Amino acid sequence: MQSVVKSPGSQISVGLSPLRKFWQRFIGFLFPPETDTWLAVLRSGLGLQVIVYALFLRSDWHYLFASSGKGLVGREVGEAITAFDSPLIPTFSWLVAFGRNLNMSEETVLTVAWVSLLSAGCLLLLGLLSRPAAIVAWFVHLCAAESGGLLAYGADSFMTTALFYLMLSPLPDYYSFDHWVTKTKPKNPLLLGFWRRVLQVHLCFVYFIGGLAKCLGNGWWDGSNLWRSLIRPPFNLVPPDLLVQFKYALPLLGISICLLEVSYPIFIWLKRTRWIWLGCILAMHAAIGLTMGLYLFALVMMVMNLAAFGVPSTGRRAEATSAITEQ
Amino acid sequence: MYSKRIHTAWFGIHFFLITAVCLAGVFWLIAQGSTILPAVCNEYADKAQLGATWCLGKEAGASNPVRRGIATYLHAAGIQAGYSFFAPNVPSQHRLTLELLYEDGRVDYESPHVHGKTAALRLESLLDRLADERYEPVREVLVKMLAFSVWREHPDVKKVRATFGAVNPPGMNEFEQGNTETFQPMFSFDFSLRDDQKQ
Repeated sequence: MQSVVKSPGSQISVGLSPLRKFWQRFIGFLFPPETDTWLAVLRSGLGLQVIVYALFLRSDWHYLFASSGKGLVGREVGEAITAFDSPLIPTFSWLVAFGRNLNMSEETVLTVAWVSLLSAGCLLLLGLLSRPAAIVAWFVHLCAAESGGLLAYGADSFMTTALFYLMLSPLPDYYSFDHWVTKTKPKNPLLLGFWRRVLQVHLCFVYFIGGLAKCLGNGWWDGSNLWRSLIRPPFNLVPPDLLVQFKYALPLLGISICLLEVSYPIFIWLKRTRWIWLGCILAMHAAIGLTMGLYLFALVMMVMNLAAFGVPSTGRRAEATSAITEQ
Repeated sequence: MYSKRIHTAWFGIHFFLITAVCLAGVFWLIAQGSTILPAVCNEYADKAQLGATWCLGKEAGASNPVRRGIATYLHAAGIQAGYSFFAPNVPSQHRLTLELLYEDGRVDYESPHVHGKTAALRLESLLDRLADERYEPVREVLVKMLAFSVWREHPDVKKVRATFGAVNPPGMNEFEQGNTETFQPMFSFDFSLRDDQKQ
């Protein structure tokens, strides 16, 4: 009888209490105090990713993104499909139109875009002009991904997402040249924690949905999908004769991949299993990169995982920094 | 506190959109009947997919500002597509073979090509899209452009016949028995310098 409610007002407050507790816990989850070590990993990792992306596409850059009649398929069709979604999505046509006002040819504009992307990657790797470099890298890469939308694959979406988060995160970090040169003030640990959470939750979505969709296919349970993916050109780096020798291991590996991905959102948060899951996921991406030649995809996923869960959470240190900042 | 509220609101909207995109993708796979789920689920999945795409504003008119706003945000954040790579099953590889017919009666065979391995992955991605029925409206234009990219290297070619199809790899047991891949043609187009004919 101790919980007798005396007035409608107190009834509401009693009813709201668990909700309020939940809300406070949720806010606590969203804004944990963090240092910027994870951000340094994300920045330098994405810098490397952008450099590799630009260098790998060096010989085909103009051929892939030139207009009709000059390149592979011309960027107009891809841009038209993008514009159907929304004409506000940036494409290379924006840059070409801007360049025309400055009497620059399409070829020159594409060259400038490639050089800008490579330079932005180098600057990100060093941590010099971190924020402008992140914005330039995101914008030019987005233009490339959208103009060549028909030629895009998974790595492009992940690069866009990772650069999008990096651009919005509280740059520059402690390990960047920017900090060394300008001695910037320490960033708000709660904001650093928030952006890390965003990255962490995003990865949970990625693996859960990827794992769930795989679980719905019969080929992942008997190993045939793993076989098909490894012998499918242009991913067929491992000779099929060698693969056949591991025919009994393929079903086990296929099931492991499904379970690893679908259970990622649970076991990556538990301290006891975090390193096991992270290690397995990193090994899986390394194997994808080495055996299927999907280097860019492997690298961006490893960078995102390392930044999200690979750097130990430094709550106490961050709390101390937070207290000092507040003083 | 104000900043926290803004960040929390953004977090909610952002992950709501990601959820809608991912669910739309998974429901689409189920609706296509390409999963191990019983066929009775297909119809429900189709309805659920409509619900998910409605959340993304895709049921609104093409010029609707909300639809455009959401689409712009999704593309800017790289979250416009779900994450069901190589799922539920690994698709077949696709091949475009170009039969080049010269003025003097010679016949040569070529495929569209690029220089680097990374770009080759992208070309494969394009060929996989050509097989997708959602790209049917632009299929002929894209094949024509791919044919033209090869044509530029062989200006004395009179006519090009483009044949597109799926390459089905052998299963593990079939491979052990010495079987190789099989080619299943899907469509072909004839292109000449003056007129284009669809077969």
